[in-house]
Amino acid sequence: MTTTANLVVEPSTESHRRSPIPTGSMIMTRFMELRKRRGLMIAILAVNIGVPTIFLAVRLIAHAVAPHTYGPAGGSSIYDALITGIIYIFGFIVAATLGCTAGAIDLTEGMFRHLVVTGRSRLAIYFARIPAGLMIIVPVVAAGVIIVSTVCVAAAPSKLNYDGINNVPVGLSRQGFVTWADQHYREAACDLNFNFKGPPSGNVVQCGGPRGNSGPQVIKLAPGGGISSSPATKAEMVAQATKSANQDYRDYSTQFLKPSLKLIIKTGLWVELWAIIGFLIGLGLSSLIGQRTVPVVLLIVYEIILTPLFSHVAISHLIPAQRGMVGLAMANIEPNGLPAVFGGQGGGGGPGGGGLPHALTESTLLAWIVISAWIVIWTGLGAWRMATRDA
Amino acid sequence: MSVIAVDENPIAENRQSDWAVETHGLTKRFGNSVAVDGVDLRVPRGCAFGYLGPNGAGKTTLIRVLLGLTHADAGTMSLLGYEVPRHRDTALARVGAIVDEPRFHGHLTGRQNLQILAAAREPAARQRIDSSLERVGMTGRANDRVSKYSMGMRQRLGVAACLLGDPQLLILDEPMNGLDPGGMHDMREMIQSFVAEGRTVVLSSHLLDEVERTCDAVAIVDRGHIIRQGPIAELLSGGDVAVTIECSTPETARQLLATSNLGEHVDVGADGLTVSLAAGSDRSLVAEINRVLVEGDVSVYRLELNQASLESWFLEVTKRLGETE
Repeated sequence: MTTTANLVVEPSTESHRRSPIPTGSMIMTRFMELRKRRGLMIAILAVNIGVPTIFLAVRLIAHAVAPHTYGPAGGSSIYDALITGIIYIFGFIVAATLGCTAGAIDLTEGMFRHLVVTGRSRLAIYFARIPAGLMIIVPVVAAGVIIVSTVCVAAAPSKLNYDGINNVPVGLSRQGFVTWADQHYREAACDLNFNFKGPPSGNVVQCGGPRGNSGPQVIKLAPGGGISSSPATKAEMVAQATKSANQDYRDYSTQFLKPSLKLIIKTGLWVELWAIIGFLIGLGLSSLIGQRTVPVVLLIVYEIILTPLFSHVAISHLIPAQRGMVGLAMANIEPNGLPAVFGGQGGGGGPGGGGLPHALTESTLLAWIVISAWIVIWTGLGAWRMATRDA
Repeated sequence: MSVIAVDENPIAENRQSDWAVETHGLTKRFGNSVAVDGVDLRVPRGCAFGYLGPNGAGKTTLIRVLLGLTHADAGTMSLLGYEVPRHRDTALARVGAIVDEPRFHGHLTGRQNLQILAAAREPAARQRIDSSLERVGMTGRANDRVSKYSMGMRQRLGVAACLLGDPQLLILDEPMNGLDPGGMHDMREMIQSFVAEGRTVVLSSHLLDEVERTCDAVAIVDRGHIIRQGPIAELLSGGDVAVTIECSTPETARQLLATSNLGEHVDVGADGLTVSLAAGSDRSLVAEINRVLVEGDVSVYRLELNQASLESWFLEVTKRLGETE
């Protein structure tokens, strides 16, 4: 039997191993491990970059081939659709999937045990996953937003198509918009949306018949309930155009040919924040549960079903819980100028938002508190479980 | 869970300890079941130490407790003289271990898996990746994905992972599992080379023959208890010894040996004589038997000393324990 010299490693020289702060090489190797997951990377790239790029490429080609049939590829409406319809919602899901993978895969693939046996702090092993995951998700989301923004600005239409009316000038004042409507009284009376806000009363111009044949009709509603109709006069159509323009001005004023730089920056940060939240919730939840599939399913249900549902319905007994939902908090800090995510009528339900409100609004401060709490709680729960679980 | 306060710890923090592993009253329960029951274990430094026991005896659980993969319910322990879990990080800096079957990220190459593990160790560990791979004969397959590795290759990669920390203590849980005879031979040689370098190797196994060939000392564990521990030669010296004799006239030989009182019991069988000797009998007794037979005009064709193997000794000990209970 051979006798060896005793180990001469002093605890003080190795004390950094107890630190919960991961080293750069721990972060980089974790980044490598996640980056090499081909299927996951394809999904992340496809959702954030692939789908918007293909969609815009098809529109660019179609417009180039048949410009009169297919409108310009870019513009504000396309920007809104791609940002709120694709990158925001599905970007969250793939970010959450990445988080769930980062949180659980060491356990399920048996590497956690190897890592714990190195003597390195379990918290450091856990926290290394956060910058590693963010190094993937943040640039990919940024690339998606940049591609969408670039095309939507560069290939924006030169005239606004508003409520089906082509060549509406943009950026008019309320008076300017009413004046334009009066000058184009026939189109404005027939095409601008008009909300009666209650039972119709007075004279209403209706354009049901093919214009040019029977022409616009004016429906006359008698106080006793009787209805009669006759061809609308110019004065009646101008009056209707004025009413509609006044009512639609708030919506019209949010319309742009292309997104502004300010909106692009705000939108980019907002979408990035949502992806980061998705990643961190996924990381914490999967670390807590110790597996990947169930957390992924739970977060998809949360994003696709629960958040839209509770964004549109205020249930009196559940209002405090609804206010605590991070999806709702995010909707309340949505940048002005975007349509409400999850199919609402206007961007940003809360005080910071520019559109019509969601069913449940909350202050910007409360929204930020909710967002911060979700990040801290889920990250903390994941860290606690990783530090205490059997390996 | 009862936690032992640091001040009550009977193991003094002794860097000069002769023991690579030392436990006192170590206990681990899973509900009502006691997997490790008051284990007092001492593994000397610089040897290959076998931790033997049947399946379910608590071998892996003890290893998991030692490495901090799960918490002990009671007792104290130290690795390389460092009290754990108090100085777990320092102790594990020079410990390499495979627990259960070695599993890695299948989508990464062997080298990339080692890079992840090296990053969790000190910076010098990264410099040891190539030499570790070379040591276990995996250089040629280091850039292949682990998902394409055989069980034996994963075992080798597991050993390479252990070597990243230049360990003074290696704890290998069933390292022969899944290996073909050639692989077992290579693993055995590797373990012996580690010991020759002054490292301590704790080998948990239920393959008694392999442990006997590889290890200097053993501890036998059954149902969470350590039954015996010590150097193999010492433990076996207490076992039965027999001499098989092939000769010209077995009956004459039996009578000669019976009158000389050299053996405890003499049997005549088809293969010749079998003489049972007292436990701990000296080899000189074999020469004495030969002399008596030759002087009695018996021609001796073959004379073979059959010492108890670790396997027979283990079965004997566990059988006795079972009868006692």
